[in-house]
Amino acid sequence: MDDLLAEFLTETNENLADLDVALVRLERNPDDGETLSLIFRLVHTIKGTCGFLGLPRLEKVAHAAENVLGRVRDGVLGVTPDLISTVLAAIDQIKFIVAELGKTGAEPGGDDAALILRLDAVSNGHAPPPAAAPAAAPPPAVAPPPAAVLPVLPAAAAAPVAAAAAEPPRATPEAAAEAPQSNQTIRLGVDVLEDLMTLVSELVLTRNQLLQLARSRESAAFSVPLQRLSHITTDLQEGVMKTRMQPIGNAWGKLPRLVRDLTLELDKRIELVMHGAETELDRQVLELIKDPLTHMVRNSADHGLETPAERRAAGKAETGHITLNAFHEGGHIVIEVGDDGRGLPVDKIRSKIISKGLATEAELVGMTDNQILRFIFRPGFSTAATITAVSGRGVGMDVVKTNVERIGGTIELASTAGQGTIFTIKIPLTLAIVSALIVEAGGERFAIPQLSVVELVRAGTEASAGAQAGEPVLQMINDTPVLRLRDRLLPLVNLADLLRLGTDPARAAEPRRHIVVAQVGASLLGIVVDRVFDTEEIVVKPVAPIMRHVTMFSGNTILGDGSVIMILDPNGIARATGIAGSADGRGAGGRPAAGKAGRSDERAAMLLFRAGGTEPKVVPLGLVARLEEIAADQIEVGADQVVTQYRGRLMPLIAMSGELDLTRPRQIVLVFADTERRLGHDRCMGLVVDEIIDVVEETLAIQLATNRPGILGKAVIAGKATDIIDAGYWLTRAFADWFDGGGDASQGNGTRLLIVEDSAFFRQMLVPSLVAAGFDVTAVGSAAEALALADAGVPFSAIVSDIEMPDMDGLAFVARLRAGGPWQELPVIALTGMTSPAQIEAGRAAGFTDYVRKFEREALLASLRQCLTISAEHRLHA
Amino acid sequence: MTEQSRVCLVVDDSRLVRKVARRILESRGFAVEEAEDGKVALDACQRRLPGCVLLDWNMPVMNGIEFLKALRSQFGPEQPPVLFCTTENDISFIEQAIEHGAQEFIMKPFDEEILVSKFTQVGLL
Repeated sequence: MDDLLAEFLTETNENLADLDVALVRLERNPDDGETLSLIFRLVHTIKGTCGFLGLPRLEKVAHAAENVLGRVRDGVLGVTPDLISTVLAAIDQIKFIVAELGKTGAEPGGDDAALILRLDAVSNGHAPPPAAAPAAAPPPAVAPPPAAVLPVLPAAAAAPVAAAAAEPPRATPEAAAEAPQSNQTIRLGVDVLEDLMTLVSELVLTRNQLLQLARSRESAAFSVPLQRLSHITTDLQEGVMKTRMQPIGNAWGKLPRLVRDLTLELDKRIELVMHGAETELDRQVLELIKDPLTHMVRNSADHGLETPAERRAAGKAETGHITLNAFHEGGHIVIEVGDDGRGLPVDKIRSKIISKGLATEAELVGMTDNQILRFIFRPGFSTAATITAVSGRGVGMDVVKTNVERIGGTIELASTAGQGTIFTIKIPLTLAIVSALIVEAGGERFAIPQLSVVELVRAGTEASAGAQAGEPVLQMINDTPVLRLRDRLLPLVNLADLLRLGTDPARAAEPRRHIVVAQVGASLLGIVVDRVFDTEEIVVKPVAPIMRHVTMFSGNTILGDGSVIMILDPNGIARATGIAGSADGRGAGGRPAAGKAGRSDERAAMLLFRAGGTEPKVVPLGLVARLEEIAADQIEVGADQVVTQYRGRLMPLIAMSGELDLTRPRQIVLVFADTERRLGHDRCMGLVVDEIIDVVEETLAIQLATNRPGILGKAVIAGKATDIIDAGYWLTRAFADWFDGGGDASQGNGTRLLIVEDSAFFRQMLVPSLVAAGFDVTAVGSAAEALALADAGVPFSAIVSDIEMPDMDGLAFVARLRAGGPWQELPVIALTGMTSPAQIEAGRAAGFTDYVRKFEREALLASLRQCLTISAEHRLHA
Repeated sequence: MTEQSRVCLVVDDSRLVRKVARRILESRGFAVEEAEDGKVALDACQRRLPGCVLLDWNMPVMNGIEFLKALRSQFGPEQPPVLFCTTENDISFIEQAIEHGAQEFIMKPFDEEILVSKFTQVGLL
């Protein structure tokens, strides 16, 4: 292509980009003389330069547009949306012709008569009587002096002084080193910069190699020049990186125009606010982030923001805001795309998920709103009831997420109903050189980008000696290895197994393994490796085409010693292992604070009923003493309590729905009773419900995640998500002192009790009632943790242990205790769902003192008392 | 270094126009310096006065007339000749330019023939 034409295309495209921004600004501030001059000058320049190349079609359109703008500049015409739209139409036509010109080297056929007529009509239509028109062009002094440069956007075209010949069309202005005249810039081809970068990368590798050699050979003669070489290489690397940096505003340039058009198209009022447009990042990253950003802004305008009427109704200002915010954080750039609209509709998304078959209702039950919202990142998800022209363009948030992750970034979202949504994108500043952790698995080394490494832990199974309480522990749940890290369960992947590398038996037999905890989307994944080396700055080389289908790798690199290793992609690993769900925050680690996921494979009898709503609720049957129907005339409404005569005493009635419906002929009541006759305390309360549905025996998969009082959590019962009521809460509603033991507050007398129970749910059921009974309770989640306490010499008076637990079950645990140690003599009560005589026998043989069914609080208290008494007598006799 | 009288300062905010002018002028034995607005041009003049100036009218920061006024008021009697560029839309500025000391005006778009004939008229070629 003719290099004059190339220059024309570059320059005109820059001017066009500035024009979009400036026109939108002018529409908002019609009196902004500076912006007007800028617009006039840009169109003028386009028109003027057309002549040099002989581009008549382009020149005519530009000329007509310039005429309109000239009238505005001269004060003959006012700025109206119509006028701006017409000029924008002309700009679009110019863009089209310029694009064709770029493709074919010639203007496309056709003519723009209609458009030019329209421009001329605007130019003349609103003009005052002809006398005031063209001839009366005011003296130039009237035209505001074009004083300042573009005030808002760092538009790419600050027309640099070309001190050297310019080359290809897509050259970008890059500031040369801070020369005395800061305005001295040169234009370089991008490919020149790319070549430089490649060479610097190679230099970095060579430097690393040299350093490695020098380390093994203590040679003082080389160390000084080598150090210098190292520093210079680092400086050079930074310098070359700098030439690739561009302000993110360059990717935002098109957005004001986009938002302006959307404003008209959607009939909404939208203001685009941009902060940190000067924040710089690698142009390669910039290119890749452009489209996702555009899509997100489009989404915010279309889905996020309400119409002016809706906003008024919600008590908000009519004008909605879309805010772009960019800033540096560590070696990353954070870009926030926020709106102050209605927030993401969780309910709509939920029903969409179900209707699209992305998850079942049961699966959704245990998820937080945020986890549900993250489904918008799933392929094929679109919430708009009707696909609008604006958002429905075949790309969804899944594409945004994929693109962001492809460049090693992450995307998060936060949404508040009625207040808006913020998407936060975190991406590396550059893709060329990254900091990575070098690990080894199956005898091979791999690099894991530091960005995705959260922490490194060493962990063994509970059986392995020396595991301290609270330390990370390797466990098996349903044959799936997991890492218990603090209060979270993380899915585990053994890298050597995954990549089908031969496992080194010596390594596999090691009691404690190295685990790289990696960030995958919003959740964490543990990657088991054999060894962990250093972190190193590595130069990312693309994966060879032959391996590109293996998504577990994001590239390869050359280490200091010259060896070529693969760079792992944790997202790809998660996908490859089918832990894809956790990429959407559904993994065990997905809920950091709100609640602990407690799973249990226990089968338990549950009473299914309805109260205060159509959704079924359940309560463990073991907690319910009786089911009663009480006639309306048996119910007495007192001043502050509703009671009934029940077995010779007054029983308070509490309606679960809050208000007791006294019009019903009969009330259905779940009676909770404390019938510890030996203590002479015998009282009960009735929980009034609407309907008893069934008694079911279910394997409980419980999520303890609710802030609603009286609800312990949710479980899937008979295939439906069901609230589990917290009996303790309702008991205290009837008797504030229920758990104070009814005047006999200290059955436990501060006796120290250890609960060993892997299910958080049962721990939560047990601990409060035992504490209430006066025991000093410590609860642990595994036998290993309990043994650690034993080793630490923590004294207890009795232990209550589950039988079915992963890794080490209750029988093994008690056998271990009986084998010797500080707890050899302690009473240990087994807690189980199954109590066949054979099992009880096996339990006794292993060393359990007593057997109690789960949920039978009274039986447990009785058993504890008995055991403690016996044990005390033992001590007396001893 | 090129003799100063053979240096032409091309002042235009369009890289394309500067490139076209550079091409023509260099082929005629000029050394070309470029400036993208009046301010940059004035700075260049302060460092070293060129042999002549090819000046655009409509530029950001400092336009052609402002530059011309500043040039004529800040520098002594040995002033470079200024050739003022304009388009048919800005004919009214020609008068102003001549008034402020421009030697000649050139209509855009110019080609080699126009430029050479104007430079010849001013006595530069």
